Amino acid sequence: MEPRRKPQGGDDAPEEKVPGMEKVEYIDYKNTELLLRFLNEQGKILPRRITGITAKQQRQLTRAVKRARHLALIPFVSDTVR
Amino acid sequence: MADNRYMYEVTYIVNAVLNDDQLRGVAQRIRKTIEENGGEVIDVDEWGNRRLAYPIKKKRNGYYVNLYMTAPGSIIPRLERMLEIDEDVLRYITLRMDTKMIKHYEQSKQTGAPQPA
Repeated sequence: MEPRRKPQGGDDAPEEKVPGMEKVEYIDYKNTELLLRFLNEQGKILPRRITGITAKQQRQLTRAVKRARHLALIPFVSDTVR
Repeated sequence: MADNRYMYEVTYIVNAVLNDDQLRGVAQRIRKTIEENGGEVIDVDEWGNRRLAYPIKKKRNGYYVNLYMTAPGSIIPRLERMLEIDEDVLRYITLRMDTKMIKHYEQSKQTGAPQPA
């Protein structure tokens, strides 16, 4: 996922919206395609600073990722280079 | 004591090495446990054989089943104990669905269940 910078213009600058995520109420652990967009190559969850989703969604994302990992839908760690 | 009924989502992974009969056996055992404890199965969605993202009990593949039920809360410890003991169940997760999850479930049911790719 390409980094989305929070606007640097100070507190009053509106946050950039993430396309397609505006109205998402529940992030489903079954939707691995969606989850993978918010992980780096190693399988780590990207920080909100990069993902740009709302704090509420980020918390849901974290939960969903952990559930999906438990069910081996996505890896705990991928790419074991070296 | 009040024992309220809720909607639950249960996903479990069965050892994929089993043959069709054995797979059916596992599904029946689970259904039986649910029904004996006052639960009602609403929907069962078998995703089938999938490659696990990492090995579990030395296995690289698993047979995924996604199940929805309404049941009293007291069912959960019993069901989880049964799933824990069952050697053929590699992993499971039981979730009590809140309003948002139910809404999401009903929406995705209409648009065709979103299976993990």
